[in-house]
Amino acid sequence: MKRTAFALALALALAACGGKYKAPPPQKNIALPPGSQLKPYDPAHPGNANPQGLTQVGDQVYATISNQYFDAAAKTVVNAGPGFLAGIVPSTGKLTLIDLGGSDEKQCQNPGFVRDSNGLLYAPCSGNFTGADGSRALVEVDPATAKVTRRAAIPDGRVPNGVAPGPTKIWMGDAFSLQVFSVDRASFVADPAANALTLDCPQSPQNGFSYVADVLILYGDLYALCASDIAGTLFRFDAATGALKGKVDVGPTPSEMSQTFDGRVAVINSGDNTLSLVTISGAKMTADNKALTFPDGTSILQDVRARDNFLFTVASGSNSAQKIDLTAKGGPKIVAAASFGDGANPYNIFPLDDDQAIVTNRQTNSIAAAQWVVVP
Amino acid sequence: MPPSRAARRLSLLFAVLAAASARAQSDGGTDETIEVRGEKPGGSPQAPGAAAATVEVARFSGEVRSAAELLSTSPGATVHETGAPGQSASLSLRGANAEESLILLDGIPLQGPGGGSIDLSTIPAALLDRMVVSRGVLGAQLGAGALGGAVELLPRRPTARPAGGAQASFGSFGTAQVEGDFAAGGALLGVQLDRTAGDFDYAARVPPESPNWYGFTRQNSDAQRASALFHLEEGLGADTGLDLLLQATAGDRGLPGPATSTTLRSRASDEGGVAGARLRGSAGTVAWAVRAWGRADRVELRGLQLTTDCTDGAPDCPRSEQHSATARAEGEIAASLGDRQLLRMIVSGGEEWIAGGPTGPHRRTLGSIALSDDVALPQSIGLHPALRVDRVGSDTAVSPGITATVHPIGPLEFRAGWGLAFRPASFAELYLDEGGVAPNPDLSPERAWSADAGAVWRSARLTLAADVFWSRYQELILYQLYPPFRIKPYNTGAARIAGLELQIVSTLPFGFTAEAVYTFLDAVNLRTGLEGHHLVYRPPHQLFGRLARRGDRLEGYAALAFRSAMPRDAFDSAHLPAQPRLDAGAGVRAAGPLWIDVEVKNLLDDRTQQDLFEYPLPGLSLAVIARARL
Repeated sequence: MKRTAFALALALALAACGGKYKAPPPQKNIALPPGSQLKPYDPAHPGNANPQGLTQVGDQVYATISNQYFDAAAKTVVNAGPGFLAGIVPSTGKLTLIDLGGSDEKQCQNPGFVRDSNGLLYAPCSGNFTGADGSRALVEVDPATAKVTRRAAIPDGRVPNGVAPGPTKIWMGDAFSLQVFSVDRASFVADPAANALTLDCPQSPQNGFSYVADVLILYGDLYALCASDIAGTLFRFDAATGALKGKVDVGPTPSEMSQTFDGRVAVINSGDNTLSLVTISGAKMTADNKALTFPDGTSILQDVRARDNFLFTVASGSNSAQKIDLTAKGGPKIVAAASFGDGANPYNIFPLDDDQAIVTNRQTNSIAAAQWVVVP
Repeated sequence: MPPSRAARRLSLLFAVLAAASARAQSDGGTDETIEVRGEKPGGSPQAPGAAAATVEVARFSGEVRSAAELLSTSPGATVHETGAPGQSASLSLRGANAEESLILLDGIPLQGPGGGSIDLSTIPAALLDRMVVSRGVLGAQLGAGALGGAVELLPRRPTARPAGGAQASFGSFGTAQVEGDFAAGGALLGVQLDRTAGDFDYAARVPPESPNWYGFTRQNSDAQRASALFHLEEGLGADTGLDLLLQATAGDRGLPGPATSTTLRSRASDEGGVAGARLRGSAGTVAWAVRAWGRADRVELRGLQLTTDCTDGAPDCPRSEQHSATARAEGEIAASLGDRQLLRMIVSGGEEWIAGGPTGPHRRTLGSIALSDDVALPQSIGLHPALRVDRVGSDTAVSPGITATVHPIGPLEFRAGWGLAFRPASFAELYLDEGGVAPNPDLSPERAWSADAGAVWRSARLTLAADVFWSRYQELILYQLYPPFRIKPYNTGAARIAGLELQIVSTLPFGFTAEAVYTFLDAVNLRTGLEGHHLVYRPPHQLFGRLARRGDRLEGYAALAFRSAMPRDAFDSAHLPAQPRLDAGAGVRAAGPLWIDVEVKNLLDDRTQQDLFEYPLPGLSLAVIARARL
């Protein structure tokens, strides 16, 4: 996810002075509000924060709050109230809730991703995952005012997953299909369905599953990551026209991607527990799909973020995060790891500097700092 | 020409049937059905010529052995345990899934909740006489579902004279077992009680990427179980007899969850029972039997949610209760055609039911016709063709199979077999709709075929057996992600599994017995997109070795079990490490029939071992066992 211009400028300035940026130490654990404080539709059935996405603007990190519970009778996850963004100062734990629900508290439910662009936050809301409810939306939030500034409804049949704010369009993937669709950045209206892009992603012929795992704007192009039960492919499109510019296979069931310090794209593959590094050279894309195989105990890779020569990854199955040195002798190597405890279910990670990172713990409803253990 | 082996079998058959009444008054008993006896020691009379091994429970006297531990000593068998005694354990034969191997108690198929695989921890091993493990696609011989093979559990048998025994053991982690049985007048009553606190220490890397191991204590891993067996064999006349079998078990246990996501508030309780009655007899060269049996079980899960535990009784934490039952009747007739052929036919019909919140009420009819032949050819060649037609609900399938044996010299036997069979989807796969699992009522049966060949040298002091096999599985039912949060079964799998099984058992001087079992598995995924990768949780190499001594005053054993690393994901990129385990025990006859034994399991105290889904296994454990048999 992108750093803010401010953070970049600060980091560059510090680097120019011969030192690395050092963020104030984050709080070890920041508990998110209980469901009763998240405006439950039915006070008898409050949800859980279930935080997911992370990004940073200024000194605050913003986490999406899904606000859900599992309805045992209905056998499904239910949106207990509106979606939120939690603005958090990691060093103090100060927390500001931004209600994304609008006047009826239903204009945005179940936000997952969040990315920043030009000082604004963009969060897609997946609703109840049916693709037919009115709570699916893309919301734009001004962190300065802690208010939703614009909302774009998502046309029926789409469940947004991932967000990539481009110069003229804001792109999103579909959680249940291979479609990549957009909202016009100026008018903030969803583009016609005919403009949607379709990813050609291999999947099991019978009852396999596939979806768009992540989208990202990089060097002005749109990168879209498709995932299936048996494969994964990174696609490159013209971000303005949607014209296909290339594609390359990555590992199976990729989760997310991030731009590395040297211009490559890092992709984590939850299917085979590997890291792919994609090199872009002109129109050509090549992938090293075994750049790193995570240890046997690492399971369900969820997120990857790059900072300087490091990658920060998080695995929800093993409740662990990993710090990877891309410049290590012999290739990318895990140099530190952190545990967030039994059942934490960490989902996203955000590096505050080269040594400090925080995660969203989806199951334990908290923001936690990585307590790194050196991996020799 | 040597005497016909079929003739010997027939003479044994009729001798057995004619002496039914007398036998009921002796130490012997009836087996699970009309059978040809004495021909194939170590094998199943239901599947003559199949690769098989027999686990004699008495061989492990003075040891605390669960059904899972006993089965793991058999070639071709892989057992997966999820922790301390009393926690669930499953069996894989020749690399097949647990659902693809039948487990029969005295010929009655056992089922887990929802008709799926049986949890081996619910089987009271101390009440068994032996286990016959038959390997291969044996649907024609043993019924629908025997894709990897079948385990026939043979309960302790009644005696005419008063006889009985008792065993009590106490050991680490608050584990205790008491077993007692008494037989007289052709009836046997046995009881087994088990309990464990399950709070063993284990080690884990936290985080898993770090080099450091940390110690933990397993919580919510306690278990209690009570089981009872009643077995009656009654002669009704010169040529007829009645057998009655009742077994019941009930248990309650914590569900601790994997080490990375423990569930300290989740629990399960279950009750189940099997009842069977058989009337058997003979008339001339025809033997017959009719049998009725039924099974019922109930399972209740508490404190369990989609991905975590919850507080039992809370509004968002309802209990899940499920009942299932089967009732079936069958008739069997066997007739000799000359002295070289025995024909047998079994006709069976019944119904099974399931009810409860997770599945809703469902029922389906069951029916089958099975024909088998036992032909003796010149040159000591035996042929055993079999054909079975099963109807399970709306699915009908034909399962053919054939085995052949030849005895060229002395105790040497060569054997080969081929079989084609199916497994109908279980009620759970069709209808279970709970938590993270979605149903799929459109599932079709799995299918498999297999060919194997082997050689056995069986003499008084030495048994050597070697088998190779090649199997192909299609339409395998696999659980796939069912977005957004659930999994759902589909007929998407295909696999090729090949392997080698070696067994050597040798009787040595001074009361010693040595045995070694080696199993090689090459389980390859053939599912589109995953071709060439290995199936998860199939260890390529397994080795079991044991040296034991039985004597009048002293006894003891040492056993090594080794399992090689095995893939944990579908892409061969994550593995469960190789696991060696060393067990040993020794005992003395303290007074009269009273034996006192001490046993150490996991002698190396390796606390890092795990099994399925990162469930830790116990480190070193001690047990003291007292037993007496009169």
